[in-house]
Amino acid sequence: MPTLVGVFDQPGPVKRTAQKLQGRGFSKLEIYSPAPFLELDDALESKPSRVRMFTLIGGLTGVVTGYAMTIWMALDWPIMVAGKPFASIPPYTIIAFELTILFGGLLTLLGLLAVGKLPQLRFGTGYSPRFSGEEFGLTVEVGDRDVAEVEALLRAGEAKEVSLVDA
Amino acid sequence: MPPPPPPPPPAEAVASMLSPGARPRDSKINRDLLSVLEAPSLLYFGLLGLAILGVVQAVATLAYQTYVGLGIAGYQLPIFWGVYIVTFVFWVGIAHAGTLISAILYLFRAQWRNAINRGAEAMTVFAVLTAALFPLIHIGRIWKFYFLIPYPNQRGLWVNFKSPLLWDVFAVNTYMTISIVFFYVGLIPDLAIARDRATGWRKLLYGALSLGWQGTSRQWKAHNRTVLHLSGLATPLVLSVHSVVSWDFAVSIVPGWHATIFAPYFVAGAIFSGFAMVLTVMIPVRRIFGLEAYITDYHFENMSRFILLTSLIVGYAYASEYFIAWYSGVEAERTAFFLRAFGPYAISTWIMIICNAVLPQLLWIKRLRTNVPFLFVLAFTINIGMWFERYVIIIGSLSREYIPDTWGLYVPSPAELSILVGSFCWFSMFFLIFLKIFPVVAIAEVKELAIHEKAHGGAH
Repeated sequence: MPTLVGVFDQPGPVKRTAQKLQGRGFSKLEIYSPAPFLELDDALESKPSRVRMFTLIGGLTGVVTGYAMTIWMALDWPIMVAGKPFASIPPYTIIAFELTILFGGLLTLLGLLAVGKLPQLRFGTGYSPRFSGEEFGLTVEVGDRDVAEVEALLRAGEAKEVSLVDA
Repeated sequence: MPPPPPPPPPAEAVASMLSPGARPRDSKINRDLLSVLEAPSLLYFGLLGLAILGVVQAVATLAYQTYVGLGIAGYQLPIFWGVYIVTFVFWVGIAHAGTLISAILYLFRAQWRNAINRGAEAMTVFAVLTAALFPLIHIGRIWKFYFLIPYPNQRGLWVNFKSPLLWDVFAVNTYMTISIVFFYVGLIPDLAIARDRATGWRKLLYGALSLGWQGTSRQWKAHNRTVLHLSGLATPLVLSVHSVVSWDFAVSIVPGWHATIFAPYFVAGAIFSGFAMVLTVMIPVRRIFGLEAYITDYHFENMSRFILLTSLIVGYAYASEYFIAWYSGVEAERTAFFLRAFGPYAISTWIMIICNAVLPQLLWIKRLRTNVPFLFVLAFTINIGMWFERYVIIIGSLSREYIPDTWGLYVPSPAELSILVGSFCWFSMFFLIFLKIFPVVAIAEVKELAIHEKAHGGAH
């Protein structure tokens, strides 16, 4: 599949060009960015990231585990401490709180791996170490469409270099 | 092997990308910040050797203590919490600045954090790793440490979740885990940068650790979300950890401990000491590796403002403790606080007050806030002062409880001091190794600012 790679200096033009290409019916696009730019987050898909679900599920699991574990263990071998009820909510809230954060954080990490498709064993077609320098890359799988059309679009979108990769 | 980079134009660019040695086209930020990882100097090996030596002597002491028992610590009735607990609280406190910089300042969009957050996060991880050792050293019978963890056992016993010591186990372990996760997530893009430019074993290491990160928009989107959520989780966590540590004391009825102000007082003190430690560590790092263009005086000035603010809170807490001791009319509290200032531990108390509440007031003067050697010295005295703060709180209070008949004195034993010194060496050892393996400044985040600035003609 012939793939065109456009190299850019700024995130703004990358986003505009990517969206123009999507408007023309090119769906196999990839953007490479050297740094986190919030404006690029929505360049290819505007749906909110699914990482939020992982955090939510982790946090809820944590809070339930925290209370369930402490209450169950206190009732499993009931020992009266300082005249407090066996299932004493205020101190167990601290455990539940810590486990909310612990499980929430670990699941968020899992979310990063799942949503970001990590680990990845192969580089994407057209990836270059330049994109971990200070340049941006926009790769377009041209398919059976006209290469010249894509190249023109990339150049019109302020790509400073365009090259063809066959993979 | 990565697939070949885009071929034809311009030919020299491609050639320079493929040959790892000469990289004329690599960005200046990459070159500057990755240069820290280059072959270490003799001085570095000297320092690392010293640190390892310090760790070795502490391990020997610990082995001896494990063999003969806690008798070699300076414990005297009624004081059975000594230097080990003091040092535990000290290191947990140090850790807090890293999370504050990486999580709370992230949520506040304080962009000056970008240059210092990696170093501070690393400091957090190593400080918690150091702190987490101390409860184990303190219990003496190290091989029984797992009694702290609720696990199903033959005796059918569970831990007592109503005890603050158990809360501490959960708080500190959660903090350790989350700060490692936070540190690692932030490192992934930078490891990919290093991977693309490294050779040999480093390429292998960075390749494995960076998980094949390529900085696609999908990956960055997930990454941005992850950092946001982790910050949201770490912010209440960091406030909770030192609160829980303070409850180890405040939930008891020992005069000098039994105070509701303890949680905010400890959290402020933790951030105070943490920022001081960031300065203590980052000022030499910046000087040695020539990172003045990235970690500027502006960063140090901002940190010193935090130090000033938290010093005021800590000073207020000191004053308020005395006021409440007097105002409550409780004889034991009044005596405990009088003896703090004028009793056997008076020197420690005055070191604490002068280093933590008085000297930092010099930071009101802008010329001193921007004077880096002064900041280094001041940060150093704060580290000392904050260690003594915990010493005063713990030893001072335990030595003077309700009945004068039970009063006693405690002097740290050589074994405890050996392990105290070892803890600093242990921390330095990790930090020195970190400096040569991982980028000490968050490269991708520095680039974010640099690229934005390029777009706006360096306007801000």
